[in-house]
Order: sequence, then structure tokens, then C-alpha cells
Amino acid sequence: MKTHCPYCAFQCGMRVTARAPEAPGDAAFDPKAQPAFDVRADEDFPVNRGQMCIKGFTSAQLLDHDARVTTPRLRGRTGQLVEASWDAALDFVAERVLAIRARHGADALAAFGSGALTNEKAYLLGKFARLALGTPNIDYNGRYCMSSAAAGQNKAFGLDRGMPFPVEDLARTDVLVLWGANPADTMPPMMQWVDQLRERGGKLVVVDPRRTETARVADLHVQPTPGTDLMLANGLCALAISEGRVDDAYVAARTTGFEALRRHLLGTHGAHVERQTGVSLDQQLTVVRMLADAERAMILSGRGPEQQSKGSDTVLALINLALLLGKVGKPASGYGCITGQGNGQGGREHGQKADQLPGYRLIENADDRATIARVWGVDPQTLPGKGKSAYELLDALGPEGGVRALLVFGSNVAVASPNARNIERKLAALDLCVVSDAFENETSAHAHAFLPIAQWGEETGTMTNLEGRVILRERVRPAPAGARTDLEILCALAARLGAGALFPSSEPEVVFAELGAATAGARADYSGITYDKIRRQQGVFWPCPSVDHPGTPRLFSERFAHADGKARLHVVRDRPSAETPDEEYPLYFTTGRYREHYNSGAQTRQVRALVDAKPEPRVQIHPRLAATLGAEDGGRLMVESRRGSVAFNVAVSPDIRADTLFAPFHWGGKQAANILTVPALDPVSRMPEFKVCAVRARALPLGVAA
Amino acid sequence: MGKRRLVIVGNGMATCRLLDELVARGATARYDITVYGEEPSGTYNRILLSRVLAGEAPDVIVTKDAAWFAERGITLCSGVAVTRLDTTRKVVETSDGGAHRYDTAVIATGSQPLVPAIEGATVAGGALRRGVFVYRTIADCLAMREHARPGSSAIVLGGGLLGLEAAKALSDGGLHVTVVHASATLMNAQLDPMAGEMLARQVEGFGMFVKLGCTIESIHGDGPDNDVALDPAPRDGAVESVTLDDGKRLPADMVVLACGVRPRVDVAKASGLPVNKGIIVNDALATEVPGVYALGECAEHRGRTYGIVAPAWEQAAVLADVLTGAGPQARYKGSKLYVRLKVAGVDVATMGTMDPELETDDVLEIVEQRRNAYRKLIMREGRLVGAMLVGNTAAAASLVQLFDRGDAMPADPLEALCPTMVAGPVAADERVVCNCNKVTEAGVCAAIDSGCASVEAIGGATRAGTGCGSCKNELTRLLKRHAPPRPPLAAVG
Repeated sequence: MKTHCPYCAFQCGMRVTARAPEAPGDAAFDPKAQPAFDVRADEDFPVNRGQMCIKGFTSAQLLDHDARVTTPRLRGRTGQLVEASWDAALDFVAERVLAIRARHGADALAAFGSGALTNEKAYLLGKFARLALGTPNIDYNGRYCMSSAAAGQNKAFGLDRGMPFPVEDLARTDVLVLWGANPADTMPPMMQWVDQLRERGGKLVVVDPRRTETARVADLHVQPTPGTDLMLANGLCALAISEGRVDDAYVAARTTGFEALRRHLLGTHGAHVERQTGVSLDQQLTVVRMLADAERAMILSGRGPEQQSKGSDTVLALINLALLLGKVGKPASGYGCITGQGNGQGGREHGQKADQLPGYRLIENADDRATIARVWGVDPQTLPGKGKSAYELLDALGPEGGVRALLVFGSNVAVASPNARNIERKLAALDLCVVSDAFENETSAHAHAFLPIAQWGEETGTMTNLEGRVILRERVRPAPAGARTDLEILCALAARLGAGALFPSSEPEVVFAELGAATAGARADYSGITYDKIRRQQGVFWPCPSVDHPGTPRLFSERFAHADGKARLHVVRDRPSAETPDEEYPLYFTTGRYREHYNSGAQTRQVRALVDAKPEPRVQIHPRLAATLGAEDGGRLMVESRRGSVAFNVAVSPDIRADTLFAPFHWGGKQAANILTVPALDPVSRMPEFKVCAVRARALPLGVAA
Repeated sequence: MGKRRLVIVGNGMATCRLLDELVARGATARYDITVYGEEPSGTYNRILLSRVLAGEAPDVIVTKDAAWFAERGITLCSGVAVTRLDTTRKVVETSDGGAHRYDTAVIATGSQPLVPAIEGATVAGGALRRGVFVYRTIADCLAMREHARPGSSAIVLGGGLLGLEAAKALSDGGLHVTVVHASATLMNAQLDPMAGEMLARQVEGFGMFVKLGCTIESIHGDGPDNDVALDPAPRDGAVESVTLDDGKRLPADMVVLACGVRPRVDVAKASGLPVNKGIIVNDALATEVPGVYALGECAEHRGRTYGIVAPAWEQAAVLADVLTGAGPQARYKGSKLYVRLKVAGVDVATMGTMDPELETDDVLEIVEQRRNAYRKLIMREGRLVGAMLVGNTAAAASLVQLFDRGDAMPADPLEALCPTMVAGPVAADERVVCNCNKVTEAGVCAAIDSGCASVEAIGGATRAGTGCGSCKNELTRLLKRHAPPRPPLAAVG
């Protein structure tokens, strides 16, 4: 049976087969841990072409996992979660919601979604929040992933699709810049396209404060100071202009705003850029020349430049560079964002974002409201307005902030949010916390109700991958007794909240048809996509406005999505990060990922093979800094920020700048890297600054516990 | 409460940055801002003047044109000089007889070129002789362009940064250029003798002539009677020749005086502000007189004046914080200097001290005579206190960060010069290639050595690549790299 991986936005095609009772030769894995299915990469799926990573390969272990929850749980008088029937659990949730709404108003209710949810779920959750809860407060963890790139692309191009071209175009470009992206670890099967590019003689440039596995294979590795991506990108744009490398004809024909940008960048001072970024002028020039000389060139950004308080401006500066050099909209060229979460793309298109309605419509636009109200059969007046963004929403939990009930779907916010201790305190102050998931996690530790759900292989739904390709993740087996799908839960709760008529079906294909109708004519138009078409075409790229439309693999070749068809160059002024090292906290701290784990680790920390490979987060430190601090490989290091402290085990490595510490954020509790991070937000995208804050560190004597 | 009136005197680079910093802090909501600039143009980047000298339109270096000011509601009075501030009545007096109230004034009058007392440099009335130029403004560059002709000759007095920049531009324009420099080496303010000599070689390599250790004694103009022997007194005509202090006389169609600058303090003096070398300011960039601030090259802070742009930028950020209340406690503590030049085609980076100052200072010098490259580090107690890089500036970026932060130098300072050379502690062959089955590179290579000739064969022997499959490309690469050479075709069965 064909389906897709439950993890990242690459959405590898997989072949899943029920396993023979005694499969030989799998000694590497605990047979108990992988009882039901064999997972193989799908050779035919054109994105991963027979490759996967260890996360997807072991994903079947989640299905029949010992720790999986299949019975609803309610917080009992003793404070423990105790098993309950579905009716009891749903009644409890509905009664509490109604009571809170009666007493404090609908604004006291909130829903929190996820980039892991299918399009159908994201759509229905947005509708549920607005119509069943009646609250403006819905947002999702995609805020923590792609929001800066989305904001940047919308401003520059008038449209945000992570990559405006299929991933196969990577192999056809001549120079590929991966800026703050580490696919060799986070998306290993993507590297086959990079390998193919390099076999053709193309060049790879990696921009990253760490020499990652991706940087190791690069022709040029640029290692900037954390938080200086914007300055570096602006510096490259300034060099492109001063070196006479601007594609004048392209800029004149396809963009606006050049003159203001040119004048602004005249004030860029190369020595200053060099001093702040730590990237030599020679290297800056090399990058500009490589990109300008290349017939085809591509800049792809990852979370590095995006997860900053100036993330959306940094994306704009990268787009400026691509536009100045005349690359966007040309074959195998341009700018793209490597979306992270499985459905980070679709999740941000269908209305689970505080300011949006399905199809990338805006909740504050009267026409968009009217259109959606018509599809939903309600009066536009009854649609709430714009709600709070993810971190602001979580920060408003509890009596102080006024949000008293939170329903969480597919997200482990206690681990994934910056300044994690603060969020844990806020979660604990809720009158009602409902978590809908397959495993208990750090967030559900605060839940009053836990609703067990079907997992990836147990329900069908569409995902929109990093290319903007809508794919169908098919069910490969029924859900175990006791688990329900998110769609069923939403419909059942809506009925109890008196909105049942607006939620007539929990059947994915029916919901998808409604989603299609809701997006007809919108920027992210899915109205011509059907399950059958996805099966026939190995996915369909949006926009796809009619049943006979084949979909749109490549965007912008003729025009951009602004009314005048032109892209916008933006003046983006550099500024310091929210927190930079000082005498008290003299080091940079940055966060990222391991190959073996995914996001908050809620799933991957359940998989034996993954935990065996990477049992804990280790703080990466340069030998020179380690020597100064007296830290040793395998020893312990106490890392402190203004918000909290974490004792990490140490990994000494020359692959990181000597002024920077790195730790992955996949763990919760005392090992949570996000205890340290700063909750400064990008003013446009509301993305938190996960990638840079100031810390101090001291080696702990052996034998001191965390 | 109405908006307060903020007046900025001067429209140079410090003002340009200050305006950006003010706007970024929303100052236009709090202040009506008026900028007085003596020059007719908008704000421009003086560092790029050589582009104008080389023939580009002045507008290419204008950073803020009239539209920029208009869009932000900031008033630009260009071509108007401020003569003084009446600091008790809080009035700005201008050269056109105007008087305008202010609440807060910022003086950013920058520097002016030094014109040395050379006989014949000026004519009656004190103006520069025709053909004699300074190099400071767009107007200076346009005047030079007007005068310079390919094949004619120019003497540049001053082998510092500006002089060499002007010399290069004129030389590129086809002029015969001689740089006359009083010190024994070029750019002696930034470079030590070794570096200066390298630079001189390079400058000569570009087709210019360098005369060190001498200066111009007198400048001679042409006149009705051109017979110097009969009438050695300089005339009022255009430059014809110069006499050096060693007695030699050189013909010259133009002379560029690039002998340095000094803070421009005329307005401050006329306004009764305390002035030493520059206008004296404290850590908040305030002068002693309430309501009056100063920044940039005209300001003297803790006894220092600065002649490069970076300190002015740092001061602009502090002053904007103070004036807008965005950071009322922001204070300027002085700047560490980092100079980065491309002069006569040579990349130069210098920071901190040029030579060891204490007996305990340590120096590392690397000289590559044939490559014309020179790198020098000065260390004090394991920290970098100075560096000079000529011809090879690859390490400049990482060195300046070590210098700025006072971080510990690597045990071996050579490491600091090679930022991209990283030695891994994990031997390559211990690296895990297949992480599904935990097979190392060494394991894969051993399999290849023992005869595995395909990815499948390696998988059979080691299980590498039999999991998720994402390491198959890596296995192919290792096969290519480690496979024994194929026997000749004929030998294959």
C-alpha cells in the first residue's frame, strides 16, 4: 500500500506492507517495537525516488506502540489522568467550553493547530474555532516554522508557496545556496537532488553558523555570526549593485522599487558587514560572483534566517538578491523556502492562522469574509476577526491573559515554544486544557482532557508538501478501537456546542470537497483538485482552479501575483537581534535539529531506534571555547540565559563558531533548549527568535546531576 | 503637546546615519526635523567619491534625495550654511540671513581638508589656484574632472588613503600621476613600513610614481611671462609646475592636496560651544550647552576625534536612543578602530595598534614577498590588540571579531589566520554513513576493500543502505573513491 511519511514537508512516498509474523534479518531493531508493518521508500514517487530517512523508515513503530493512548482520559480528583468513555470526555469538554464562554465570553476560548494536520483537519479546525467556539483565537505551530518566509514571499511576490518550483529543479540549477538549511540532517532524501546537481558540475553554497553535514559537502561554506543573516544578505545585495552585477533589464521589466533599494544600500559599508557578520569581504564577493555568473541560480532558505525577530525582513533581503540578479521566475532559478513541517504549507493556507481564512484569504478583508461566510452558510457578521498569533496566544493563557480554555491539536507547545518555562506556567493556569494526540507529551501533562486520535496510517487526508504539491496520505489500516480521527472529534464537539449542522461530515474526502469550494478563486486555489486526480498525477500543484486544470508546478515565469504582475524589491533595514551577547551573557546560543528527531520529539522520542541513536540533546561547543570554559567532551555544561538554565552533556566539535553554543530543541523538561530562547517576535510574521539569544556557560564538575 | 523642533547642522555621513536611526525609532512623530546642508545635493556617501571622480554621475552616490526627505516629512535646506547657533534664544542663524527656532540642535559639520601653507597654492583673495584642488566634496570631484585631461599630469600631495584614492582615479583616467608624500612610507597613519613599502610597489605597478620623504615647497602658475628663470614668482594663472623641497621642479597640470582633514568647528566656535580639537561631547554626545549635541568627525569624545565612518555610526545609534527616549541611558564609550580599504587594487585591513606598545606584547608576522602579502598580529596577554593585513585579508572578518570582543586567541595564533581550516576531532572513517544500521565509513571502506563492487554488495556485507536508503549516494561516492582500479578490459572474463 502506498502512503506518505508522517513527518516532514518532504512527505516521502512510502510503501507499507503488513509484516510476516517472523521477518528475518532485522536484528538491528527490536522486533517488539516494529510489529505490524514494513516501511519502504516508494521508488516511483518523484520527490523522494526510493529514498527516505531513518525517521520515516522507523515510523511504523508508532502505530502499535506500548505508550500509545487509545482511550480518552480525564484529569481525576487525584490529579491523575484516568480513562473515560468518549461520551464522557466529549461531554466534559463541551460543558466546560460552554461554561467558560458563558462566563468569560468567546474570546476566552482558543484552539491551537499544527503543521502536522492534514489540509482537511486544518480547514475544519479553523472553521470549528470560528463557528463552533466562536473565537478569533486560533493559531498554529507553523508560526514557529515558515511564517517569516510566508510573509516575505507574500510581500515580494504577492503569493506564498514555499518553493515555486518542483524539487527536481534543484538538480538543474547551476548554483544552489542553502541559507540556514541543513537538509542532510533534516531532510536526507532531498540531498539526492543536491548530489545530482553537483555531479552535473553545479556548485553548492551553504550559509550556516555551524559546519553541518550539509555544509561538509558544500563547495563554499559561509559561517556567519548568529543573527547577522539580514546584514549579510543586504551586504550581498549592495555588492551586487556596486560590482555592476545587477540584471538591469530584468529589474526594469519585472520589479519595482529598485531606486529606493539602491540608495538605501549605498549606505552599506563593507567593513561594517564584515565586522558584524564575521564573513570576509572576499567570501561575500565570491558568493555574489558565483550567483551572478550562473545561468541558473537558486537561493533556498531554512529556519536559520527565518526564525529570528527580523526573519521576514531577512527573507525579503534574500529575495532582493535573487531579483537583483534576475533569477526569479527563470528555469531552475529563484528563491524558495524549505518548508519544515509535514503540512506546514497547507496548514498555513486553510484558515488555522489567526489572520486567515481558507485559500489564503484574509479574515479582515470584507470580500474574503463574505465569500467564506457564503460557503459556510453563515452571516459574515458572525465571523470573528483577527486573533492572537501563536506565542502571543500561549502567553495570554490563564486568568491574567484572559484565555481560559485551549484545545490543542497535533502540537507539543510546551516544548516547541520559546521561553518554554513561561509557557508551561501559562498552560498550568488554564481552566480547560484539551490535548488531542496519540501520545502523552509535555503539553498533555497540563491537560484536563486527553483525546486519543488515529495516526498517520489510519486515516486518509491530503498534505501539501514543500513544493506546493498536494498529495494524498492514504490510510493503510484501520485505527485501533478507541482512537478517533481529529475530524470526528471536531464534528462531535461541534454538535455538542450546538453547531452540528455546520459540520455535517467527518469524511476526509467530503471535507476536502468543501475546502476546494472554499478556496475557489482564492490565491491558494484547490478547487480543481480531487483525490482521484492526486492519485493519477502523483500529486497536484496548486493553484489548480478547475477540474481540467493540470496544476501549476512552476510559478512566476510570466508574472508575479501582485496586480501589476511585478515583484517588489523592499528596503529592509538591518537591526540587532533582540538579545546580543554582553558582559553578563557573553555567548550566542542557537537551536536546531538532529537527523533522528522531529520537532518537539513527541513522536520520535517514542521510537526505540531513534532514541538509541540520539538519546539526549548535547550542547555543541568549539574546542577553543571548551578549553576556555574547562568543558570536556562527554562532560556537563550549565548553560544559562536570562530566562532559565539547562545542564547539557557536551559535544566538543570544531564545526561550530567559537562564540556560539548549539543545542537541538527536540526534548522537553529539564533538557528543553527552549528554556533558554528569547520570546522576541518578528513584527510582521510573529515568528519567535529561536535562532539567537545570549547565554553564559560553565562546566559542571563530574557527578553533578542536571 | 506639539512636536519639538530638531535641527541638524550638516548633511554628511553622520547625519545620514543619524536620520536612519531616528526614523527607525519613530522620531518623526516626536520631532519636526530640519537638516541644513551646505552642499547643494542630498545626502551622499563620501566614501564613494572616487566614483564621481572617475566619471560617474553624482547622483549614483546620493543616499537620500529630496524625495526621501519629503516622504518622511523631514525638511532639507540644502545649499544653506549655518553660521551660528544662538544657544540662549535657541535660534539657528543661516548664511542667507535666516533665523530659525529650535528645541534641540545636533552639530554634524564633519571635517574640512587641511590646506598646507604652500607658496602659490592660493591666489589673491585666498582661493585655491586654478588647477589646485582638495578632495572632499562632489563639487571638488566635478571640478577635478573638468580640469583633468588624459595625457596631462597630476601631482597628488599626500600618500594617505584619500590621496591614493584620488591618484588611482586620475591615473585610471589616463593622467600621469605622481604621489608626493612627506613620510618615508605610504599610508603611515594606518600601515607600518613593511606594509607601506608593499603598497608603494603596488601603486607603482599601476603606473603611478611615488616620491617619499618630500613635500611641495611651491606651486607655480602660468602667466604672460612664462620664463621661470627670469621671473620665479608664482603667478595667478593655472598650475604649471611645482617645486619640491629637495629643489626638484616637476611640471604639473594639476595638484591635488590630500594632506588630511581636521574637524570642522567654525559653527561651534561661533556659537560659543567648548571646542578643543573638536567639539567636546560627553558619553551622551551632549555638549556642555543644554540642547546642543554633536557627533561625527567634528566631535571630540574623551579626547579623541575620529576620521572614519564606523564611530559616527555608533554615535548615531546612541544619540538617536537618547533623543527619542528609545534608550535614554544609552552611552557612547568610544570606538575600536577597524579600517578596511581597497587602495590601488590592494586589499588592506587594519585594526587596533600598529606596533607592539608594551615589552610584553607579542608579534606574529608573515611576509610573502613574491605574493606581496603581509600579515601581522599583535597580542597582549593572549588577546588580539592589533592586526594588519595587506594583500591577503581572508582572516580579517574573524580577526576583527576577536579584536572587538577581546576573546582569547587560539593557543597557536596561526589558527586565527586560517579561519576556514578546521581540523575535525572525529576521524573521517569513524563517521557514521548509514545511521539506520550504524555503519561507519571505515566499515564501508573495509567492505569495498574486501571486494564489494556495488551498493547492493556493500549492503549485503554491512547492511549499509538497507534501511531508509538515504545514504546510497554516499555509498556510491565511497565506491568511486575507494574501489581498486579496474583491471584492463581484456582481462575481464
